[in-house]
Amino acid sequence: MEKVVPKIGIFVRDPGGRMAASLDLPGMLKRLGKAKNVTRVCLLADLAGNASLSSVAEGIRNGEYDRVLWVGRFNTEQQKAVEGYLEGFGLNKYLHMWCDIEEQGALNQKVASEVREKKALRLIQMALARTRLLEPLAPLEIPAVDAAMVVGGGIAGLQTALSLVELGKKVHLVEKESGVGGKVAALHRFYPRLCDPLCGLQFVVDRLRASDRIHFHTLSQVVSIDGGPGRFQVRISRRPRFVDLQRCNACGECVEACPVEIPRTPEYGAFGSWAPLEGAPRKAIGPACPMSFPTAFVVQREHCAPGCKECEIACPAGAVNLEETATHEDVEVGAIFVTTGWDPYPLSRVEEFGYGLYPRVLSNLEMERLLGGDLPPLDEVGFIQCVGSRDERHLHYCSTVCCSATLKQIRFLKDRMPHVRCYVFYQDIRSPGFQEELYQEVKALEGVIFVRGTPSTVRPDGDSGRLMVRAEDTLSGKEIRLALDLLVLAGGMVPSRGTEELAQVLNLPRNRWGFFEAHLQCHPEESQRTGIYVGGCSREPMNVSQSIDSAHRAAMEGLAFLSGTVLVSPTYPLVDKTKCDKCKRCMEECPFAAFHFDREGFPEPDLAKCRQCGNCVGICPLAAVSLRHMTIKQIAAQVQEAAASFLPEGEPQVLAFLCQNDAYHAARAAVEQGLPVPPNVIFVKVPCAGYVNNALIADALAFGIDGVLIAGCQDGQCHYVTGNQLVRKRSDDLSDKLQKMMIERDRVRFVNLEIRDSVGYVELTRSFVEELMAMGPNPFKL
Amino acid sequence: MPPKVDREKCDGCKAQQEPLCEQVCPGDLMTLDDEKKAYCRMPRDCWDCMSCTKACPVGAIETRIPYQLGYHPAKLIPMMGTNTITWTCIDINGKVERFRYINRGRLD
Repeated sequence: MEKVVPKIGIFVRDPGGRMAASLDLPGMLKRLGKAKNVTRVCLLADLAGNASLSSVAEGIRNGEYDRVLWVGRFNTEQQKAVEGYLEGFGLNKYLHMWCDIEEQGALNQKVASEVREKKALRLIQMALARTRLLEPLAPLEIPAVDAAMVVGGGIAGLQTALSLVELGKKVHLVEKESGVGGKVAALHRFYPRLCDPLCGLQFVVDRLRASDRIHFHTLSQVVSIDGGPGRFQVRISRRPRFVDLQRCNACGECVEACPVEIPRTPEYGAFGSWAPLEGAPRKAIGPACPMSFPTAFVVQREHCAPGCKECEIACPAGAVNLEETATHEDVEVGAIFVTTGWDPYPLSRVEEFGYGLYPRVLSNLEMERLLGGDLPPLDEVGFIQCVGSRDERHLHYCSTVCCSATLKQIRFLKDRMPHVRCYVFYQDIRSPGFQEELYQEVKALEGVIFVRGTPSTVRPDGDSGRLMVRAEDTLSGKEIRLALDLLVLAGGMVPSRGTEELAQVLNLPRNRWGFFEAHLQCHPEESQRTGIYVGGCSREPMNVSQSIDSAHRAAMEGLAFLSGTVLVSPTYPLVDKTKCDKCKRCMEECPFAAFHFDREGFPEPDLAKCRQCGNCVGICPLAAVSLRHMTIKQIAAQVQEAAASFLPEGEPQVLAFLCQNDAYHAARAAVEQGLPVPPNVIFVKVPCAGYVNNALIADALAFGIDGVLIAGCQDGQCHYVTGNQLVRKRSDDLSDKLQKMMIERDRVRFVNLEIRDSVGYVELTRSFVEELMAMGPNPFKL
Repeated sequence: MPPKVDREKCDGCKAQQEPLCEQVCPGDLMTLDDEKKAYCRMPRDCWDCMSCTKACPVGAIETRIPYQLGYHPAKLIPMMGTNTITWTCIDINGKVERFRYINRGRLD
C-alpha cells in the first residue's frame, strides 16, 4: 500500500474563553504548529453562520490538509453538522478527530498551571497521533432478503407472523405439530378479558390466511442453518401428513372408516391429549392439532394397524396417500423469530400429590379442558399452587401465570356450580398489576377458602374415591383435613420440548433454566445471535398478553434485517491476514459467534452479525484484529504519546481504558461535577472493556506509565455479555506475569464501574494513585 | 532447559489442533497432551529460543534458562506489547535488570 503522508489541520474552538482562561493558548497553538504532519493550526471564532467553517473548507479544497483535529467541546449535533458540511467539500466523515481536553480535567483550575498546560498538550498530542492514522471509510450495505422465518406456531408465533405480513414481509411459519395454535388453543378462557382464546386465535389465523405472503410449514422442523443476518439459508424438514393439503376438504368420511382408536395419554402435550377428558377418543386419522388449521386432516401413522388402508379407500377426494415420505425444503430468510413456547412441568415428578396415580388429580391445563366441557358432579375442589415452581427441588423460578390461572378457573367453576367449595393451597398469591382485581373478586366469593400452606399428604379414600388431603394452615397454625372431589395442580412452565435441539441448530445460548437468553433491558427480544429473535415463553414464562407484546416487539426489532439492505457502520473488525495464525481464539470468544472461516481458513467476521464491541481485538494474542477507525495501531500510538510525563517528579502517571457505555460517562460526570479527580489520570475511551488487548497494557508499562486501569460494566451488565469478564481474566494473567517479573501486580487493575458512579470513579482513581505512589515509579521508566 | 508450562493457566489455546506455542516452535517440540495442555515433548532438543514464551497468550509458559547462563532462580521474562518488547532479567542473587526495545514493524 502506498504510504500516505497525512496533512493535519488543527482547529481549536473555545467559546466563552474557558480554555484561554486556564491555558496559555497562543503558546500551545505555536507548539502544535511545529508538530509533525501539522499543516495548519487555527483558533476558530464560532461555528454559527458557517463563516469559520467555510474557511476550514477552503483549506480542504486547496489541499492544505486532508484531515482535521478539532480541539474543544463539540456536542453531537455540532459534530454531525460539521461532518455533514465538510463532507460536501470532500472530507470523509471518518477523517475527523474530536479532542475534548476539558472532559479529562485539563482545565481544572485547582490543578497547578504547569501540570494543566502539559496535560492539555499531552491530550492533544495523543489525539494527533491517532489523527495521523485515520483512514477514510464508508458504511457498508449488505443485501437482505425481505422474508422472515417464525419457528413455533403458538400465539406468539402467529402474532409475530401477522405483524411481519402486515408490514409487507414474506413469512415462513414453521410448526412441528400438524396445526397451529399452540397451548392457547387448549385453554378454556384467558384473562384479563376472560374471552375464549379460540376467538382470538381464529382472528389472527383468518387474517394470516387472507395474505399471500405467509407460508405455513406444519409438521416441520428446522434442521440446519447457514449464512448470516439478512440472508440465512435454512433447511426445513417436513414429516409426512399422509393427506394432501389441497384435496382434503375435512368431510370426515375417513374418521368413520378408521378402525384405530387412540387412548387419551395421561401426560399433557402428546398429540392425542388435546381430546376432552370425556367423550369420543381420537382416531388415527383426524383434524389437525391443536387447532384445526390447516383444515386438512392428518394421519398418525404410528397408531395405524399394519396394512390397513381403510381411510385411503374411504376418502372421496382421494386425498389420503399413506405412502408419503418425509421431504425437506430450503428457504432463504433475513431474520429468524423463535417462538417455541413452553411445556408444563411434568407433574408426576412432584410425587407427593399423586398426579398420574389418582384419577382425581388434574393439572391446571386438564382443568381448562374440563371447564370447557361437561363437568362431573363436584362439591369440594382443591387447588394447589406453585407445584414445581419456586421449589428448590424442581423449578427455581415463578411461572408467573399459575396464580391468575387458578383464580380464573375458580371464577368459572363458581359461575357454573355456585355450590362448590374451593380450597386454594398457596405460598403467596401473585397476581400482579390489574390482576389484583381478579384476586379480590375471587376472594370475596362465598365458599372460596385460601389456605396458606402446601398439603403434606394426598391419599385416595378407598370407598368413595375422594381425595383425603391433610394440610397445615401456616397462618392460623391449625391442621386441616379435607375430602376433595377434585384436586387441581397449578404446574409450572418449562421451555418446550425441542428447545434444546433448536438451540443447537441455531447456536443460541440458553440460560440456566433452559430458556433462551436475551439482553433484558436493552434488546429484550434479541438473542445473542444477531438476526435471531426470541419471543413469548421461549424467553421466560409469561401470560398470553405479554407473549403477544413480546411477539410484536420481536417483529419490530427484526425489521432491520428484512428491509432490502442491512446498513453496517464501517467500524467493523478487520483481520490482518499477514499476522493472523488462525489460532481461532477470536472465534471462540466472540460473544455473538460472528466469526467463521474464510476460504483460506482465516477467521472472518460476518459483518451483519458483528456488533462491533471489539472483544476480538482484545482477545487476539498477536494483535492481528483491529476495529476500523479504532485500530490497535491508533490506540498504541495514543498510549505511546500518553506515556510522556506531564506531572512533577515522583507523581505516578495512570492510563485508564474506560468502557464507553458506563465508565467513560462516570469519569466525564466526575469532572463536570467538579469532583476532585486526580490530575494523574489520562483516559482512553474504548467500545467495551473487552477491547483492551494485553499488548496495549504491556506497551503502557513498557513506556513507563505507572499504573493501568481498565474500567468496565458491572458483571452481568455488559452490553456485549462477557467483555468485562474476558478482560478481567486477561488482566489477571498479566498481573501474574508482572509478579514474576518482580513488578507489583497491582499496577494493572480491572474494576467494575456503574454509569452514575462518578464518586466511585474519583475514589478509585485517588486510591490507585496513592497506592502507586507507595509502590514508587514503574521500573521501566527510563 | 525446556519451557515449563503452568498447567492451570494453559488453556491449550481453547483446545485447537495447534496451539500458538506449537505453531511458533522452530523445533516443533511443543504439543498438546491428552488433557489439552501444552508440553515440550523433547526437552533435550529445546534451544531456549523463547518463542513459545513470547507467544503464549495467557502467559503460561516460562523458560528455565540453562545453567550456563544462570542457576535457579535466575529468570528471563519477556513481555510483548503491540510494538514493544521488554525483558526482565533476574540473576541468581535476585538482582533485576530490565530492557525495553521498540519492535517497529510488528503493527505494520
